[in-house]
Order: sequence, then structure tokens, then C-alpha cells
Amino acid sequence: MWEYLIRRIAQSLLVLLLISIVTFGLIHAAPGGPATMFIKPGQSPEMVAVQMKQWGLDRPLPVQYLDWLGRMVRGDFGNTFRANRPVGELLWPALKNTVILMGTAWVLSLLVAIPWGIYNSTRQYGLSDNLAAGIGYAGFAMPAFWFGIILQVAFALKLGWLPLSDMYSMNHRGEFFDLLRHMVLPVMTLVLINLASYLKYSRASMLEVLGQDYVRTARAKGVPERKVVFRHALRNALIPIITVLGLDLPYIVGGAALTETVFNWPGMGRLFVDNAMAREYTVLMGVTVVTAFVVILGNLLADILYAAVDPRVRLTGKGVTSA
Amino acid sequence: MSEVATLSTKPESLGRQVLRKFFSNKLAIMGLVMLLFFIVVALFASSIAPYDPAKVDLLSANKGPSDAHWLGTDNIGRDVFSRLLYGSQVSLVVGFSVAAGAVILGSLVGAVAGYFGGWVDTVLMRLIDVMLSFPGLFLNILVLAIFGSHFVYLILIMVFTSWMSVARLVRGQFLQLREMQYVEAARAIGVPSWQIMFNHLLRNATGPIIVAATLNVGGAILGESALSFLGLGVQAPQTSWGQMLSNAQQYMLVNPIFAVYPGLCIFLTVLAVNFVGDGIRDAMDPRQKIHIPKGRMAQWRARFSKSRA
Repeated sequence: MWEYLIRRIAQSLLVLLLISIVTFGLIHAAPGGPATMFIKPGQSPEMVAVQMKQWGLDRPLPVQYLDWLGRMVRGDFGNTFRANRPVGELLWPALKNTVILMGTAWVLSLLVAIPWGIYNSTRQYGLSDNLAAGIGYAGFAMPAFWFGIILQVAFALKLGWLPLSDMYSMNHRGEFFDLLRHMVLPVMTLVLINLASYLKYSRASMLEVLGQDYVRTARAKGVPERKVVFRHALRNALIPIITVLGLDLPYIVGGAALTETVFNWPGMGRLFVDNAMAREYTVLMGVTVVTAFVVILGNLLADILYAAVDPRVRLTGKGVTSA
Repeated sequence: MSEVATLSTKPESLGRQVLRKFFSNKLAIMGLVMLLFFIVVALFASSIAPYDPAKVDLLSANKGPSDAHWLGTDNIGRDVFSRLLYGSQVSLVVGFSVAAGAVILGSLVGAVAGYFGGWVDTVLMRLIDVMLSFPGLFLNILVLAIFGSHFVYLILIMVFTSWMSVARLVRGQFLQLREMQYVEAARAIGVPSWQIMFNHLLRNATGPIIVAATLNVGGAILGESALSFLGLGVQAPQTSWGQMLSNAQQYMLVNPIFAVYPGLCIFLTVLAVNFVGDGIRDAMDPRQKIHIPKGRMAQWRARFSKSRA
């Protein structure tokens, strides 16, 4: 177990390093490099050189990368070019806001999707199952941000029940109920995207298990249906669902970025989109690394949980093997 | 009765079986019809469209639907209906070319990994793990923001972030297929590796690849709309549905209905592609059981019991 854990953590760190190198390389491969950020028209070449030196951009790339890496490990993501503010000041509040939004949506979708999926697996092709299939088709085919816009038009503009966008109203900053009111629409948008895949997987996974021989045995020896479903089948059906939860994370993070843009939610996704246009490369690096860290951590947790739920999974040094 | 007669002559070919199963699937037919509709619209957009989609007419801006402008005009007087027609071109071109690119790249990587195995396989699979552990959308945004939003870049970067599923699939197929005896035979008579891979093995993996390709089309259309919505995809004066949506959101207070049309077009196109993809998948899977609707089942039961009585 420990050997496996250490191996997986080492692997994850390597992946993080790779992602940061690729991002760093991409940013510096841009025509003109990050220097185009602050060169103003009419500046003399000497001025530009002075500024390059000031930002440390005149050094060889590997040196710049190692310098950045060394500071980042100590929690210093560098400063922005435009406002010369520490990137951490932008990054951490944004991460908090994204976690509030995504976390709520994620928990809600699981609370809805798993029980509903179980119910549908026991009543295949019924009304509820067909409705869920409809949501699945819609969720996979609909641009999530469009669904967000439609919600805005319906509930904010036409009905006027909920605020259009942002996280707080002008003079209610930090109030909990105001936050709740602002969260309803973006959370609904995210829940729809998540529901589409979670419903499908939880149903399919349950159906697979319900078809197994040991379930038939349980039924044959007279175990009540409730117990068959929840005691015998559900436990095993949860295992593949956990894997999917881990694998789906990057997809959800991408969806959250769009939803944040639509609802003007001050989170990581919007921070990334805004700063991509402005080419604030310190911010981009910061968001990339933190996002990758969160996603990889999620995958790692899913793997560990997977082993905890399924006693058949033996964790050895050589990855996961099921006996 | 004719079915009984054909049985004695020749069994139905696999392709025919797949076709028959595909066309007995209502959703698949619906999807195919919808998709063909959008393809025809995209092909003949220039002759159907009543106006130039980029023509600005400030005097008739923000007009509602009328005889002259079927769906009204946007904030700078461009004809919404014409813009929708032209938008279908972008979506379909991006959708199909990205899917094609992803299939080519994915097949190549998957074939090499699956056929050679060993450390090549390990390295390539780790690469895929890395690619899958990072949100593709972020990478797309980064590249387009840094290198500029050219249409070609858009397609290339989307290919680069969507080939992984195909590669995994092809690798899995190859792992099975490379143990087949005909591979051994081919090797014995001296067929070079690359020919075994691409002539003998890839052909046998066609089915799953086609399915993965169709499902990729939908993903690519959604991806393009997202990037264009963020202002990083298709640029004016070119039109795309995602770009129209971002415009519609800015002028939501003036004319909320404009947010509905482009989104609906994206939704229907992707839905059509997904229906077709699911239809092909079900038709090709011999294990897939045919689901008989309750009503028809009851009908059969009734008929069966009547004949007995």
C-alpha cells in the first residue's frame, strides 16, 4: 500500500512538472515572447532591454524556468506585468470562489445522480429512466454556457427572480444569502453537465452488477429486493463510479471555466480566460499549475478510494492489479 | 417468407447487417436526417442566405422578425438568419476535420503503442495520462491566446487535445489483434511491421474507430462553440454560432431571443451527430440486445395467444 502510494505521488509530481514545463515552453514560444506584454510603441530598444533585465527575461530559458519553479514551490507565483501585484493575491481568492461553485454543484449532482441512477436501474425503460436518458442526451449535446445564458434570460431577465450574474450584489458583499441567490443559476448549469454523465454511469454500473450471478443467488435465497439493491449490488456498483468521478474532473473544470465566464463569477476559469487575452504569463502559469494540481490530486484520491472500497484491488508497487 | 428463401442461398453480409440494424433505430434515422439537413444548409448557405452575413446595416439594427429579415437583425443590423446559415459551415468543418485529425493521430499513436508494446507502449500511455489529466479547454485557450486565433490553429490545437480516446481504443484493439494467427502468418512471409499495422490490423479495428470518430465530431463542435464564445475561435467577419452567442449575451438586455437561435443550432447539430454515433455503435455491437418497446411486445403477445386459441 505504502509503496504504491509513494509511487503514485511521485508519478503525479512528475506529471505536474511536465505540465508546468510545457506551459512555460508554450508561453515563451509565442512570437515575441512575454516581452510583447509591456513593450509600448515608441520605446527605445535600450528601454526595452532595461525592462527585460528588470523582469529577468534576458536570461536563458532553463534558468528562468528553474527560478520560477524555485519560487513557486515556496508559494511565490511572481508578480503581474500590468499592475505589478503578486499573482497569489489574484489566485487564491479565485480558487476559493471556484471551489465554492464547483463543490456545491458537484455534491448536488452526486446526491441527485446516484440515487436516481439506482432507481432507474431497477426500473429500466420506465418513465423516470427515459427522462434521465433525455437529460443525458441533452447534457451531452448542449453547450453548457448556452444553457447558462438561457437560464439567465428566463430566471433573471423575464421572471426577475434571481440575479443575472456576479457573486454578490453591490452593497451586500460577503453576505451568505446574497451568495446563495447568486449561486442558483451557475450551479444549475453545472449540475446539468454533471448529471448527464453521472446518471449514465451510475445506471450502467448498477445494471452491470444486478446482472451478476451472486445477485441472482441473493434473490434466489429470498433476500428482500431492497437489501439486494442496497447491500449486495450498490457496494460493487460504486467502484466504477469512483473512477469516473476522478477521470471526469478535467472536463468539469473546463465546463466551470465557461460557466464562470457566462455568470461573471470571479473564479479560476474566468481569471484564466481574462489573463490569456492579456498574456499575463505569470498568472497563466499560476492558474495552470494550481488547476493541474487540483485535478491530479482528485485523480489520486479517486485511486486510493477505489482501493479502499474494493477489497479485490491489491495495491502493489506495479500499479493497480485486481485479483 | 422471402427471408426464409434467402437463408438457403447466402447469409447476410456484415455490412448489410449493420445497415439494417442502423436503419431499424428510430433515433439514428432522426439523427441522420437532421445531420444531412445541416450539411445541405452548410453546402448551399451562399445561395440560400438572403443577405451577406457580415453586411452591417446600422439603420435597421436590432429589428424583430419581419418579411425582410426572417429572424430579425442583430445589434449592428446583420441578418440573423443569414448568419445562422453561414455558422453551420464553421461548425461542420471544424467538427469533421477535428474528428478526422484526432482519428488519424490517435490511430497512429495507438497502433504504435499496441503493436510494439514494451517501453514504447509505456511511454505513450503515460503521455496520454498526462494529456488527460489536464483540462483540454485551458490548453486550447492558452495556445489560441498566445499564437493568435487563426482558423488553422484552432483546428490543429483541437486535434492535439482530442486524440487520446481514439489512441487508447486503437491500442486496446491492437493488443488483441496482434496475437491473431494471420499476423503471425504475415510476419512469417516477411511483411514489414508498418504494413501489418496499417494494412492488416487497422482494417480490423475500423468499427470501433468509426464510432469514436462520430462521437468526437460532437465534442469538436461544442469545443469550437466554446472557444468562439470566449472570443478565441472564429473571428469576425467570419460567423460562427459560438461567436453569435457571445454577441447575443452582450446584448441580452436588448434582445434576449438572439441567444436562443445559435445555441439551438449547436444543440441540434451535436444531438444529430451523437444519435448517428450511438446508432452506428449499437448496430456494430453484436452483443447489443434489441430493445423491443412495451407496446409492440404486448401486440406480439396478443397475436401469439390468438393463434394458439
